[in-house]
Amino acid sequence: MKEKMNIRRLVISAMAGVALAAGSTAAKAEKTITLAAFADYTGPYADIMPLLQGSRDKAVEWWNDTVGKEMGVSLKLKIYDTRYDTAQTASLWPGIKSELNPPAIFGLGGPDVAALQQRLPDDKVPSLMGTAAYGFAWKENPWILNPRATYAHEASAFLQWYAKQKGGAVKVGLVGSEASPAYVDMIKGVEAFAEKSSDIEVAGVLLTTVQPADLTSQVRRLVKKGAEVMVIQTNTSMVVAVKRALQALGRSDIPVMTSSHNGLPASGRALGDVKQMEGDFEAYGMAIPSPESVDAYNFYTMLKDKYGLNVPWNVLSVQGIAQTLFTVKALEKTIKRVGADNVTGEEVRKTLMTEKITSEEMNGFYSSLSFNEGGPFPTEGMSINIGTIKDGKYAVAATGIPVPAIEKW
Amino acid sequence: MALQPSGVFFENYSHDKALIKTKYQWLSLAIFGIFLLLVPFLFGPRIIAVANIMIIMAVVAVGLQITTGYAGQINLGQAAFMGVGAYTAGLVATQFSLPFWISIPLGGVAAAAFGYIFGLSAVRIKGFYLALTTIAAQFIFHFAILNLPTSWFGGSNGLTLEPASLFGFEFKTDSSFYYLALIICTVMVIGAFGIVRSRYGRAFVAVRDDDVASSMMGINVVATKASAFLVGAFFAGIGGGLWAYYVRFVSVDQFTLFNSVWFVAMIIVGGSGSIVGALIGVFLIRLINELVTSIGPVVSEAFPFIGGDIVFAAMNIILGGVICLFVIYEPKGLMYRWNIMKTSYRIWPFPH
Repeated sequence: MKEKMNIRRLVISAMAGVALAAGSTAAKAEKTITLAAFADYTGPYADIMPLLQGSRDKAVEWWNDTVGKEMGVSLKLKIYDTRYDTAQTASLWPGIKSELNPPAIFGLGGPDVAALQQRLPDDKVPSLMGTAAYGFAWKENPWILNPRATYAHEASAFLQWYAKQKGGAVKVGLVGSEASPAYVDMIKGVEAFAEKSSDIEVAGVLLTTVQPADLTSQVRRLVKKGAEVMVIQTNTSMVVAVKRALQALGRSDIPVMTSSHNGLPASGRALGDVKQMEGDFEAYGMAIPSPESVDAYNFYTMLKDKYGLNVPWNVLSVQGIAQTLFTVKALEKTIKRVGADNVTGEEVRKTLMTEKITSEEMNGFYSSLSFNEGGPFPTEGMSINIGTIKDGKYAVAATGIPVPAIEKW
Repeated sequence: MALQPSGVFFENYSHDKALIKTKYQWLSLAIFGIFLLLVPFLFGPRIIAVANIMIIMAVVAVGLQITTGYAGQINLGQAAFMGVGAYTAGLVATQFSLPFWISIPLGGVAAAAFGYIFGLSAVRIKGFYLALTTIAAQFIFHFAILNLPTSWFGGSNGLTLEPASLFGFEFKTDSSFYYLALIICTVMVIGAFGIVRSRYGRAFVAVRDDDVASSMMGINVVATKASAFLVGAFFAGIGGGLWAYYVRFVSVDQFTLFNSVWFVAMIIVGGSGSIVGALIGVFLIRLINELVTSIGPVVSEAFPFIGGDIVFAAMNIILGGVICLFVIYEPKGLMYRWNIMKTSYRIWPFPH
């Protein structure tokens, strides 16, 4: 009996010793990879940045705690405030490159694309964005990579879907502004698509100020030209002005399509009640922040419950989590391919160009991504999701709507 | 001892009017010049990148100093003039494959022509109304670029440039570009000193101080005001050309009214009516800007419980606060204080 006890003790001690040794080896082997995260805490997007960055942080925390732990890798985000300014980004980047030499950047938006698109191929660091792409950045051999097609692609996908729902060709009114080249780009892209499409016809283009007060007469002109749906991818103010105009004209039957950043809940709040957006749509290449997006919502809930994510389930949390999942999956695949010690920007880009990141791997936040050298976003196999307000409630109208091919404009 | 010491008297006019009057001043300038040449060897990439932005902005701010500080013509369109220079340099570089040493001056010429139009409006209006007219330059530039055929200036797509090159050497890195920008900036600053000390510069100052009186003295006020804009815009255009080759992507949203206001802030902080003041203003504003941007991530990392949003917002408040303090306590700019110090030193022990 005593002998048995001794053997048992010996076995337990040996097992504990092995476990401790393994643990200490794992702890010693843990590799920290630091990524640069561009943020805007002091520029035009300062008000929403805590929500976006909060979501990024918690998704990284989750990865470190689960996948990273298994792989012996810990990811760290170092935040840099670019002020959403090209000059600031241009002066910050060389320091970031020499100090961190990160294998990837969490990109933010147009100014960092402008400042870095010519440098990153030389610096061999990819910037992984969270937003849709722009026509002006649609160049071959990209180092700035978008998990979403251009805004124009997303609007065109919606219009194709809408035409199918209607059972015939659709006349569209495009509402935008010349305040920013990005806004002009959105319009030009949809026009380029409509030119080649038998289903879509542009009834007219309404260019206005960024914060229009009243657009009734301009919208009347579009309606007279036969516009059956209004596409507005600029901002909430324009959605509100167009909705007010349509209400004044008694044409609530003409739906409005928005993008993610000026989506239905935000525009509805600005109008006073989301019910006023009944029958309108939002369309983009990310999960719709509704509980109906089951996988994405479950992942969000897990971050909230387990990691203390303190951001509501909205388009910002979706964007922050989605961008992080896209980035960590790219890193994860690179680590598996070359080992944690050999992860470089060049290798991360190579992974993205050669391997597919499936929608399932990103918990349904994006559609599956297969990049190629032809452009900054996957030119094939992308899809969008469509949200709507149905019976006064935010709901998913359609998922997995394929993004059409559009020639460069 | 770089200052002109008490008791030094000049025996001829040219000596009295010389910019650099003593051997110690020459020595100081030489040491400063050597320091500037050694910057890429002394500092890391971040500082060199900051220096590049400072140099580009210095060229633009010196131009604004001539228009506003010397000639007294309020200009809130300097960023638009810079944009015209950037686009022109980008256009001739991409469409006609012209080298940088032609495309950058052409950018300056195009900006000067654009600025001249607004100089003509300065003949009839002044002060607040002139400021509003120059704001129009911003909008004209913006809408013209976006609406002209895409094949001209790229429209909403912008322009993408190859790096500046000379005899096969590409100014691709921050260090190599630093030397290119430094040479161009030095030429422009020397030129600016030449202009403001010439009869044209004296005409600028006379018109600034009293355009009616200067007209009575025989100064062509119309030509002087228009040429003040022409010269200032030329500098902005050269700065724009440099910017185009530095970032290698030109887009209208890089040259906004907000940027123009920053240029005005730079000459206010440095001191109106002084070329050195404009340089100091650029240095100081950019330095504070870069400091708060650099300190933010460090503080955020050291004290994560504060939260990045609070840290970065606080940095912005500090930046705004420092500029406010300058304007409140030194409204005439740092050069004004420096000049008082110099004079006090020269006439010591007598009170200034």
